[in-house]
Amino acid sequence: MEEEKRKKLLDLFRSKLDRPMQYYLDVCTRCGICKDACFAYASVPKTEYTPVWRAEVVRKIYKRYFKWTGKIFPFLGKNTEIDDEGMKQLYEAAYTCTGCRRCMVYCPFGIDTQAIQSVAKLLLIGNESAPEELSMLADASIEKGKSLDLYKESFIQGIKNLEKEVIAKWKGESDQIIPLDVEGANILYVALAGAHSIVPAASILNAAKENWTLSFFEAVNFGAFVGDPRKTQLIAKRIIDEAIRLKVKEVTICECGTAYRVMKHLVGEQPFEVTHIAEVMARYLKEDRIKVERDRIKGIITYHDPCQSGRNGGVIEEPRYVLQQLTSKFVEMSPNREYNLCCGGGGGLVALENEDFREETGKSKVNQIKETGAAILATGCENCNTQLKFLGERYHLGIEVEFLTNLVANSLLLE
Amino acid sequence: MSDEIKVNKTMDLKGLACPQPVIKVNKGIKEIEVGQVLEAITTDPGSLADFPAWARTSGNEILKTEQESGLIRFLIKRVK
Repeated sequence: MEEEKRKKLLDLFRSKLDRPMQYYLDVCTRCGICKDACFAYASVPKTEYTPVWRAEVVRKIYKRYFKWTGKIFPFLGKNTEIDDEGMKQLYEAAYTCTGCRRCMVYCPFGIDTQAIQSVAKLLLIGNESAPEELSMLADASIEKGKSLDLYKESFIQGIKNLEKEVIAKWKGESDQIIPLDVEGANILYVALAGAHSIVPAASILNAAKENWTLSFFEAVNFGAFVGDPRKTQLIAKRIIDEAIRLKVKEVTICECGTAYRVMKHLVGEQPFEVTHIAEVMARYLKEDRIKVERDRIKGIITYHDPCQSGRNGGVIEEPRYVLQQLTSKFVEMSPNREYNLCCGGGGGLVALENEDFREETGKSKVNQIKETGAAILATGCENCNTQLKFLGERYHLGIEVEFLTNLVANSLLLE
Repeated sequence: MSDEIKVNKTMDLKGLACPQPVIKVNKGIKEIEVGQVLEAITTDPGSLADFPAWARTSGNEILKTEQESGLIRFLIKRVK
């Protein structure tokens, strides 16, 4: 590796070295408690799948270049050079970690492995060896924000084509079945690209007689997955600008855990509230703004807490409240809530070509699901939904994986 | 949905979860030669904005977009 590039990578590393990061890199005692918290290690007990190993890859570079012992005696101790081999190790560490932060809950020092892996991801971006898929998706999202006028009309037509599906679920009447660009709306609903993320939510919002509008942008933030702080902010800014332009009171994020966490917790205070669609559905049910037929959906239902909206986002009780209105046969997984095991699809992993890894490290999740005896596995995140369906197929679970919005929309009682 | 543009490869992307349609198109375009045309069929309304944005950033060209019966069809020329 050329010296100039190494210097650039060190500058990137330095840009992440705030006080919390130095703490995370300095205080680990290698007690190993974190290893048992990791879904990947619980499934496949390889050292490389422990949070402490992943952190050590970054920590050894830190020691080599930022601690006086490493600077003066680089040949002593376990230091890692910034070179091609070092970058390979960083890739292995960063992209076998979903950033679920379950290890942080168990760590006696509260060391944030996801934050440590954000250093690894930033160095990979600087080295131009971050996953091409994630960088490409982040760039396309930013481009969409710049050139929306070019695509607006065809998008509006595409949304119009979904209206029949919304009416089929909602069975109501309105001038605007899927409203767009409504100034002064109460809610800006930010969906994903697929109809499955728009149709059920539109049915529910309409059934509640909400004054809402659909965002032109997709909620997912690929800048966050690839670990690029600049792109993360640019992608979020498209939605923030739209919300401010329309003067909405609330931005409601669809079933996408990372999108919710970024908008709720990582972009600073905004002149609107940020909610997850599960919170909005729980509110409508509590206020009798929507009614559902309990037990219209047959079979035992369990719930997978998405790491980013649950443990890291705080949306924990609302999905349970919603499910308890839908069914008398709700069962918890064990462990659950902030202690729930990651499904293995987060952190952008579900978008990469790593099916064998995702299958083998999903074993602990599969066992957790099997123990519930559920016929339906509900979740509130697109990444989780995709990974859980994948695990269901690979392990022949015979379980139906459903979004919360779809379960609610299919249970709506209409006046 | 008919035209006179010669299609060299077709990808059925109907019903795929986010973000698979764009990822698969990004991969599929590399499997044809520069100047050839990829046909992509999706059901995602978001692809109507996502695909053109991807084409601009990846330097490819969308020759045609059609919507019919819930299906969206793109003809994309590999430019580089």
